[in-house]
Amino acid sequence: MRLIEDKDRRLRAILNIIVLLFAFVFVAKRRTTFDQTSAFENLLIDSFAPIQSSVTSIRGDVADFLDHYIANINASKQNITLSRKVEALENQIYQFRELARENKRLKDLLQFGAEIGYNKVLAQVVAWDASSDFRVLRINKGLNDGVRLQAPVVTSAGLVGYIYRLTDHFADILTVLDNNNRVDGLIQRVRAHGIVEGFNNELAIMKYVSRAEPIILGDVVITSGLGNIYPKGIRVGAVSRIERESYGITQNVEITPAVDFGRLEEVIILSAEGDEIKKREWEALDQMDETQEEAKGGNLK
Amino acid sequence: MRGNWIQLMKPLGITILILVVLEIISTALLPMIGLTKYRVPFNVLIILYMGFKLETPYTSLLILVLQYTHSFFTIEGWEMGTIAGVMICIVISYLKDLLHLSSSIITIFVTQMFQFLWFVIVSSLIYLKADNFSYIVEKFWRFLPESILISLMAPFLFGILDVIWRGENQRALGESV
Repeated sequence: MRLIEDKDRRLRAILNIIVLLFAFVFVAKRRTTFDQTSAFENLLIDSFAPIQSSVTSIRGDVADFLDHYIANINASKQNITLSRKVEALENQIYQFRELARENKRLKDLLQFGAEIGYNKVLAQVVAWDASSDFRVLRINKGLNDGVRLQAPVVTSAGLVGYIYRLTDHFADILTVLDNNNRVDGLIQRVRAHGIVEGFNNELAIMKYVSRAEPIILGDVVITSGLGNIYPKGIRVGAVSRIERESYGITQNVEITPAVDFGRLEEVIILSAEGDEIKKREWEALDQMDETQEEAKGGNLK
Repeated sequence: MRGNWIQLMKPLGITILILVVLEIISTALLPMIGLTKYRVPFNVLIILYMGFKLETPYTSLLILVLQYTHSFFTIEGWEMGTIAGVMICIVISYLKDLLHLSSSIITIFVTQMFQFLWFVIVSSLIYLKADNFSYIVEKFWRFLPESILISLMAPFLFGILDVIWRGENQRALGESV
């Protein structure tokens, strides 16, 4: 009775029901393979991401300021000039070393996969996902730089993941550590197939590997090329644990990814002309499924 | 008018700005200093504040707007958090007479309890979609430190939000929660 009499309560109940229904419908419809953003979402992500990017770069400057100024504030006056000179030189050396390291990393990245017929787009990691449930990285390259949805992302060490969400200037990578990312993998030595799925922040699991396969610790896992996303032969990681139950026809294999995600700074996006063809293939398959479902519905009637 | 939508616009705008700043800290600054495994879910804390303290009928819409803002920083989307947030607000509305956030200790304890409820709701939805229980167990071990940190921050952040929401919309704020 109170619900009918009290206007506020009635309005609250109606809004709660509408919002809940709306959210449930969208949860059910949500795709786990990729996310197509609207123009409005593009605009907002492109507005927030540069701030994330500058926070990342400011960190280096702040660390530099703290290390080289605050720490020396109590130095004696006689040493100020010398200290500054030494400091400046050390700073320069540090910068040169950083440049040399960056140079090496970038060279390694660019040399990697020279034989793969893809356009390579170099990008920097600017942020991580706001929820620890997802192992997603945000990079500073987007549609305008030639990045495409579902394009594979790699480093010289191996596979990082694929492009899940894309705006004009930024993109989100669904890494191989994420539970929603499934890679068709191949044990390089014995050529055994399995599906690599993210498990936690450090490990992935290879499922559906036949129990009869003689896998050993340290075996290298590479992409098989199946699944229409990753090209064949990219290193995913190495076998770090093998679990065989006393029953069943498969074995669970734990994989330590080849890429150290904790220290990831730059990545390469492999973008190919073929992406458009892939997209059309997927659309055609989806259309075929819909037609078949409609035909089934018609037959039932 | 107890729950005038126009009156809520200014504090909502400021709250969104706070959320954006906190999300940037959580996604850009913390991972860069090595905290890649855990993330601080500030959106949960702000939504719990709305459940505890606001008495406007538009709470569900406010939650939707905040979760939508949160979705720009995560691929999680706005949906699951909105469902959890609205459900928790419904539960809180039935328990209002029992909940009194009179001290920091009680605020921390109550926030922790409702974060646990949030975890249960979101995990159930994930389980329904993914059918993967080991993922929920792994999520639980991450949830523990994250939720404790959030609960410890609750008295401080609730104090700031009190100033924002009380200044503009006094009647929307529950007097005794």
